[in-house]
Amino acid sequence: MIRKNRRKLISASAVIAAGSMLLAATPAQAAEQGVSATSIKLGITIPMTGIASPGYNKIPGAMKAYFDYVNANGGVNGRKITLVVKDDQYIPTLAVAKANELILKDKVFALIGTLGTASTKAISRSAQLSARGIPSLFVNTGFSGFADKKAYPTSFSILPSYQMEAKVIGKYLDDNYAGKKIGLIYQDDDFGVDALNGFKQAGINFAIKVPYAAGSQGVAGVAGTWITKLQAAAPDVVILFGVSSATAAALGNAYAYKYAPKWILGSVGGDATTLAASKVPPAFLAGAKGLSFAPAPSDSADEYIKMFMDVNTTYNKGVAFDNNIVAGMTSAFLAVQAIKAAGPNLTRKGLMSAIEKGASTFANPALTPLGYSATSHVGATGYWIGTYDATGALKPDGGKYTVYTTDSGTGPVVLSNYKRPAMPAKGLPN
Amino acid sequence: MKTISIKKRLVALAAVAALITGVTTVVPAQAADPACTTASYVTTCVGATSDTAPYMFITTAAFNGTVLVWSHGLRPNVDIPLGIPGYGGYKVTNTPEPAPGGDKAIITALLGAGYGIAGSGFSRQGVNVQQAVAANVELIGIFKKKNPTTKKVVAWGASLGTLITQTLAEKHPELVDSVALVCPATAPTDALISYFGDFMWGFKTFFDPTIKGFGYSAGAAGYAEAMGDLVKFFTALGKLQAGLVSGAWPDTSSAAGKALEAAKVPSRSALTLVGLMAGVPMRSEHIDGTSGPVGSEQLFPLAIAPAVAVLENAGTVGLAEILLMSDGEAQAGGIVFDNTKTDYAARVDADKDVYTMALSGNTAIEAMLGVLGQSPRVTASAAAASKVKSLLSIDGTVKHPTVLLTTESDQFTVAGAGQWMIDGYAQQYADAKAAAFKAYQASKSYTAPTNNLVALWAKTGDKYTKFTAAGSPDLSATAGAGTGHCKYTPAQYVAVAKMAANVANTGKFPSGGPIATAARKVGLSYDNKFRVPLFRTLG
Repeated sequence: MIRKNRRKLISASAVIAAGSMLLAATPAQAAEQGVSATSIKLGITIPMTGIASPGYNKIPGAMKAYFDYVNANGGVNGRKITLVVKDDQYIPTLAVAKANELILKDKVFALIGTLGTASTKAISRSAQLSARGIPSLFVNTGFSGFADKKAYPTSFSILPSYQMEAKVIGKYLDDNYAGKKIGLIYQDDDFGVDALNGFKQAGINFAIKVPYAAGSQGVAGVAGTWITKLQAAAPDVVILFGVSSATAAALGNAYAYKYAPKWILGSVGGDATTLAASKVPPAFLAGAKGLSFAPAPSDSADEYIKMFMDVNTTYNKGVAFDNNIVAGMTSAFLAVQAIKAAGPNLTRKGLMSAIEKGASTFANPALTPLGYSATSHVGATGYWIGTYDATGALKPDGGKYTVYTTDSGTGPVVLSNYKRPAMPAKGLPN
Repeated sequence: MKTISIKKRLVALAAVAALITGVTTVVPAQAADPACTTASYVTTCVGATSDTAPYMFITTAAFNGTVLVWSHGLRPNVDIPLGIPGYGGYKVTNTPEPAPGGDKAIITALLGAGYGIAGSGFSRQGVNVQQAVAANVELIGIFKKKNPTTKKVVAWGASLGTLITQTLAEKHPELVDSVALVCPATAPTDALISYFGDFMWGFKTFFDPTIKGFGYSAGAAGYAEAMGDLVKFFTALGKLQAGLVSGAWPDTSSAAGKALEAAKVPSRSALTLVGLMAGVPMRSEHIDGTSGPVGSEQLFPLAIAPAVAVLENAGTVGLAEILLMSDGEAQAGGIVFDNTKTDYAARVDADKDVYTMALSGNTAIEAMLGVLGQSPRVTASAAAASKVKSLLSIDGTVKHPTVLLTTESDQFTVAGAGQWMIDGYAQQYADAKAAAFKAYQASKSYTAPTNNLVALWAKTGDKYTKFTAAGSPDLSATAGAGTGHCKYTPAQYVAVAKMAANVANTGKFPSGGPIATAARKVGLSYDNKFRVPLFRTLG
């Protein structure tokens, strides 16, 4: 008996040794960076300080709060998510440095929520995300190019594109201000190009267009020239299609110049608490039109908003709840589902594949369909239009969300009959 | 940190020249046995190859059988008048260079470790790959004959010397056991020509259309044209520097440039565009691209810094263009640069948003690209373009263990050249791996391919710009790490040399840990995940 067992042991040892030799001789698959048996490390670079930071600097805290909530409930597939945050000051070259730091020093698994068209483009090119196969999840820019899988194979949008937004605004103008003089302030880069393309498709002709180079809104006297140009052209409606600091600069100067057309604020620069932080009185927004693809932050009847508010209270020190918090938590919410869907053997390829295959049906607060597929990395696909009240809250006209959906091409703007997936129990991935 | 600048190299070369004079009274005019002297157990030999290329090699009594054959970088093949930055007062020299810049610290360290060192000054300067390879082939033979215990040969070089070294390794693999390429210029010929040509064409189109840049006359007339171009180029560069903040254009600007000035497009935006379309690094020795002076922490990096970086890098790029293009054309028999089909709008498309404020926004970008679109292009002579490839061409195949040392923000041999080698080898390795698997399926015996490339980086720091009390960038401050052309410390050169010498003897690089440690000790980085964009022309 003993001899037999010994023979078995010898035989087993031989098999193990042979197996070891084979393992040693064939290349092993390296463990995925940023993933351990118990943790997943994500990274975000975003303006935490500087001219573009107000409001946007709340996004990482919101993401982290939702991740902490998930972690406190067991994590995802047994792993807890950590988020490393870097401050790029909205300087693209610094964003590249910070992204490289996240990838090479902090060794994150994926980037999430990088903000700004220029910074996100710079990161993609200079940090070579595609060549390195590094996912860039739910970028905080509406530049339509990021939804193009061929051009940015590892990047995924979440915001509807600026082109979609411009088309929706165009429809609103057509329905409500046909024949009126329209003015536009826009960022003179691909952010603005996207918008101009959308307005063109919507058939909008501008009485005046005022471009500004990104960053120049911070130069003394520049925003004042925008207003004097607008005053000279006297449009009935003015669209502000820029970042929050540009919107604030325009509105601040308009107030000083006693200039008060009908304002339409693009979603990127239209968050009232951010504008208030930039010294734009909420009352000055009253009556202005705005757009959003998610429920209004004040809509505590919405199950997602309510859950986000609770998470914000418990895990984010109850900071002022606004669109930035909703945006950050929405991205985190989608990321958790994607990680869950990628399965226990988490790889970068697996994560991106999970988004392509299933994220269009992931639960999320957006009131418009998500467009992820094997050929497209487009996120939300439309907007509702509302009106700012005297407290600066953007509320849907008529008390209900009238959502329009469209694409970044020549498709029409149509009323959406999208039925949003119900929130999973406790807001945790199934 | 001590680095070896161009000026220091020239001084060191003079010292080497003095050394040669000291050790021998007669330098053979052509191939013959070298003249050797021995003092304090150090034997120094000098001689000339059959095409009169002077050489020098040094061994000690403790020679360990491994020799490092060094190929120096670009030396102009014409005298440069005084007053030209960087090379002013240069006289053509073919002083042999047995180690980088003839640096004593490097020579001492390598000899002290038992290695032999050898190097030629080559029979011609300028674009000299063919002559240099021939000289090195002869030199290796002469060295071995004089030192019959020689077992291993390491070929190493910097800048243009990497093209010489890589060509030697590709064409004479039997002579070389390992390779080290420092600040590599290893890229397809078209990409190299395009880098310098695109820059100069854009520069002259905006700032001084009287600069020739291409199509130099033969002989003395061509020399006069090239020297005239150097003066015009640096004059315009000075005026651009003066107009950095105001946006004023040089008075030598083209009519289209003046029209852009009238349209309030600042000259710094045009300079930034020229840099971007050629692929000039947007960080330089003193400009990190992310810092700003107090009160302008964001506006400076967004609006001004890119132009200052291009300006600081442009001196080297413009000078090299004029010298290389005039010499290349003379040897090839006509114009070798061609931009008749170049889409400069596509070149800058990915970056125009990143530098939008520096470029003054899309409206200004479109106006500037419009000027480039309507300006006359340069057409190469087909025969000359073909011939120049025979003068410079490499295929990038790694046939020996190779150490690559690349500076992330090198304005002369841009980092994309190193990345091209790395990417090419990745494909070569993948092919070898696939072949190994195929063999495994047949034989059931798997032999993993050996990694033959170690890529070291001198990475550019995030923040190193210093500002004066007046808020201007201090261009006299210490240069940032990972910037400039071949600005390595002697310790870094020695570390690379030793790595290449070790692998020549073992046939296999050690695992990543020891390499990373050796690199870190001298301030370099070994990181397989690090990447930089390729040359503009390569994608």
